[in-house]
Amino acid sequence: VVDPVSQSASNKDAVDPENDFQREMSFYRQAQAAVLEALPRLRKLQVPTRRPDDYFAEMAKSDQQMQKIRQKLKSKQEAMERSEKAKQLRAMRKYGKKVQTEILQRRQKEKKNMLNAVKKYQKGLSDKLDFLDEEQASSQGNKKGNASQRIKKGPNAKRRYKNQKFGFGGKKKGSKWNTKESFNDVSSFRSKVAHNKGPGKAGKGGKKALNKRPGKRARQKMKSRAR
Amino acid sequence: GKWKNKERVLIFSSRGINFRTRHLMQDLRTLMPHSKADTKMDRKDQLFVINEVCEMKNCNKCIFFEAKKKQDLYMWLSNTPQGPSAKFLVQNIHTLAELKMTGNCLRGSRPLLSFDPIFDKEPHYALLKELFIQIFSTPQYHPKSQPFVDHVFTFTVTDERIWFRNYQIIEEDASLVEIGPRFVLNLIKIFQGSFGGPTLYENPHYQSPNMHRRLIRLSVAAKFREKQQVKEVQKIKKKGSKVLIKEDPTEVVFETPAEERPVEIQLVKPESKPIVKDKKKLRKIQRKKQKKLFRTE
Repeated sequence: VVDPVSQSASNKDAVDPENDFQREMSFYRQAQAAVLEALPRLRKLQVPTRRPDDYFAEMAKSDQQMQKIRQKLKSKQEAMERSEKAKQLRAMRKYGKKVQTEILQRRQKEKKNMLNAVKKYQKGLSDKLDFLDEEQASSQGNKKGNASQRIKKGPNAKRRYKNQKFGFGGKKKGSKWNTKESFNDVSSFRSKVAHNKGPGKAGKGGKKALNKRPGKRARQKMKSRAR
Repeated sequence: GKWKNKERVLIFSSRGINFRTRHLMQDLRTLMPHSKADTKMDRKDQLFVINEVCEMKNCNKCIFFEAKKKQDLYMWLSNTPQGPSAKFLVQNIHTLAELKMTGNCLRGSRPLLSFDPIFDKEPHYALLKELFIQIFSTPQYHPKSQPFVDHVFTFTVTDERIWFRNYQIIEEDASLVEIGPRFVLNLIKIFQGSFGGPTLYENPHYQSPNMHRRLIRLSVAAKFREKQQVKEVQKIKKKGSKVLIKEDPTEVVFETPAEERPVEIQLVKPESKPIVKDKKKLRKIQRKKQKKLFRTE
């Protein structure tokens, strides 16, 4: 009778019986050591250890039991995978959102630049149609447009930045208000036109009654007289 | 080959066992093809009757499970005609059917037995080791056994107890998976005879489960009693003797008598304050009045 018995020399001085994992690991290691020692001996004694694949026999646990075990393991793994997937999805969505906002911002910036360039061209500030080509990386310091012997400095860096930020349309909000200068500016007053004196344009002569519109009071009088 | 090792183990139990014990017993019967089953033994029969039962079944070893109080499980391992025998307290039972035990083995395959080195150091452990070997190893060429060796029983001594594990050998490189069952044996006594006789060894670390439960109850009671005592001590301290301070003659210097006030006797009931339901509203009205005055000024 061959009693396969083996001992394993494992030092278990530090195994704390309360620490479950450590304890089970020590048992596992003991078993492993035993197996590693015993298998060569068995092989020497010609005791078979490996079951051939076509050897079907009754097992200690029924097939049903093994099915249940397999199901449980599978469900556990599936649950873990699902949670992993959910986590990844959440991370991806976050990242996607970030990327999307970046793209939108970039698009808006490009649009703004394009419009500025168009405006510049419209105002005649730059006669180059470079903005039609996509790459536009010029500095916007050439406000006067005579760019030939322009010193690189141009307007102040602060000025340049503000121009770039607020565009060449100029200050839009206060554009229709009167300032001191615009009020005192009488350059667009033509006395001959205002008093309707002087020679007619194409030598017409005669008064153009329509040119001189009577004042409010005169108009009212005319109206009341007409009634 | 010829079957020469005629070991037969009788596995049975007393009445009053619970489902876990019953499953453990059945698991042991499936794992050990050289085992025999028997009906439950009545409690009133004495233990040496078991020897006769074994004799009748032609068994020379016995595993007997005894359940007491529907809580504690004791296991007897015995070599039936002459002894020795050992009594254990069984704890932490996990059966084959638990889903966490994922391994499987051939029914009736012969196991490897692996023992802790401690089993060689002490004489009582050496005796137990021999008993385990003879009971748990499947005889070679037993008609119900399978020729392959595909699982390993481990017996380890930790915390003064014997831990039993059963692993399936998957690969030749010793990767293992637990099959089950598992249990922990706490040695009580070793007897010279089978189920009786003089005591060969008594485990000094063994504490009967009753004792254990009693100690727990006592400790809880002791805690409670301690709290009570502390409360009583505090009560006594509070009531306790207050120190009398002698009268200080110079204290009178600071005493100034209060002024005499004329005694006023009210004959008419004072008018009652108007009950204000909403103080805020009142304040609001007041403010408005003040504003009006301010405006007219």
